[in-house]
Amino acid sequence: MSQYALEVKSLSHSFGNYRVLDNIQLQVYPGQIVAVVGPSGCGKSTLLKAILGTNPPTSGEILTDGIPVRSPNRNVGIVYQNYSLYDFLNAEQNVSFGLKLDETSFLMRLFAIRKYLSLRKSHLSKSRDFLKQVGLESACGKYPHEMSGGMKQRVAVAQAFIMRPKIVLLDEPFGALDEAMREDLQLMLLRFYQENLLAKQEGRRPEYTILMVTHELNEAIYVADRVIGLSRFHTQGDQGAAIVYDKPCPIFSPEDPRDFSKFSEQRDELRKAVFDEEYIKDRNKYVTFWSELSELANRVAEPR
Amino acid sequence: MIRRTIPEWLFWLLAIGGIIALLVSYEMVSLAQTRTNELQTTIPSFGKLFEGLKQIFRAQGLPENPKPAMFWVDIRATMWRLGLGMTIGVFFSVLVGVLMGAYRWIEAPLGPVVMFLSKVPPTAMMPIYFALAGTDQSMFASMVALGIFFSMTQSIYQAVCQDVTDEAINKAYTLGASEFEIIYEVIWKQILPKIIDNIRLQIGPAMVFLLAAEMVVGGAGLGYQIRMQSRVLNMSVVYVYLAILALIGLAAEWGLATLRRKLCPWYVD
Repeated sequence: MSQYALEVKSLSHSFGNYRVLDNIQLQVYPGQIVAVVGPSGCGKSTLLKAILGTNPPTSGEILTDGIPVRSPNRNVGIVYQNYSLYDFLNAEQNVSFGLKLDETSFLMRLFAIRKYLSLRKSHLSKSRDFLKQVGLESACGKYPHEMSGGMKQRVAVAQAFIMRPKIVLLDEPFGALDEAMREDLQLMLLRFYQENLLAKQEGRRPEYTILMVTHELNEAIYVADRVIGLSRFHTQGDQGAAIVYDKPCPIFSPEDPRDFSKFSEQRDELRKAVFDEEYIKDRNKYVTFWSELSELANRVAEPR
Repeated sequence: MIRRTIPEWLFWLLAIGGIIALLVSYEMVSLAQTRTNELQTTIPSFGKLFEGLKQIFRAQGLPENPKPAMFWVDIRATMWRLGLGMTIGVFFSVLVGVLMGAYRWIEAPLGPVVMFLSKVPPTAMMPIYFALAGTDQSMFASMVALGIFFSMTQSIYQAVCQDVTDEAINKAYTLGASEFEIIYEVIWKQILPKIIDNIRLQIGPAMVFLLAAEMVVGGAGLGYQIRMQSRVLNMSVVYVYLAILALIGLAAEWGLATLRRKLCPWYVD
């Protein structure tokens, strides 16, 4: 088992002659919630698609738990902005869909019906437990068209995490939700982080490792324990976007007041480092080298 | 005002009124025609139509050796051809449409061919079917099958492209699905309501090809009988057959809509 849930090694990506990403180096430890921010068109989606395995990079390598990513696979979960639930499955079937695909086969469903039905029962029960955990126990039988955006996104989150992937990618997960729903879902991620802390305390490997793309700086700092900024505004910007910001950020528990003023300084620094076109700097100026900072890398081990 | 609602009782009153108006005006035209020519059979009265109805259900031939009634011979021939042709046509169009939507290397060579051939009116292709498949049952079945195949393949392919997003497919991979499972568990289940709707929509055109072919070369069947009876101006049988065709159409429509509701309770039009 690798010490990293995700490792991106010297990743570069070009579309024809246009170089989008340049030499991205990234290591994510199990249990970290990492937010990725950056100006539109800076390559956040390209990076996400490369990690997902749908668009392999032009050069470089991506490893999840030490295993190279060549195509989308069950080590990397994904939650899209537009939910992408399966319309023909209700909430509990959507959540248990991965368990069904992963633990049963078409032939088993056809010829070993008893075995399949007993597995199915346990899958649905696990799915109901997970839905309860994300506050949706009453919506188990609802189809996606009967649910609100917030409910659908909870189901999508449960659908990804029930598979216990090495890392889950959240692509602007709350972008389509209203403010109240957004807050609820942010708190859900904070609860996941608390469970990571507990797992570390008990010597278990944390289960919720997240890489989240968002355009909301407050959300990034509030929810994540580490923020990464991708941008072309650095001295070698003509080579493509690179990581120009990589720092830990304050950890909130779900019970803490939602006070964004606590991190206003970091937000301003992040905005300047990542979004200010005029401010061209060395790409490593705001980067923490995590591999050299073991105490910070293991931060998830420290309860508040 | 456009689309202003009307009370429900008025809606139903007008709907029933429309049917009554059709029946009354038909009977009046029939009476007027009978006054001109007492022996006319072109616009038979309701009494004559009832005679026609009895005629098509009457066993033919001698009492000691009665052949089945005309209607049963015809409906069995037509439904067998339609059923066989539709089954083959639907099976292959779903198979090819889904594979075209799933794999670019199947879509690339077949897409333009399917699109081109779906524009050729199947009735215009009848001489080709006669030449290639003769004029027996296999000709009728292949004609129905090929008649619906190209347009239905095109619709199924478009349904896969529009209704099954890349996100849904990529997510299925992340949930551990194999390619076969994506085709069966994601694509097939997502487009099932569209498949049922397409079958419903294709029954009409399939009947058109089939009846046209039966009128030209049939030895039995609804189309054959309509043509034979109309040649001797026995319109009381022809109109009854037309009414039965309408009822078959309505029953198929209702049956498939019910099937879609049962199989796809999640589907919202």
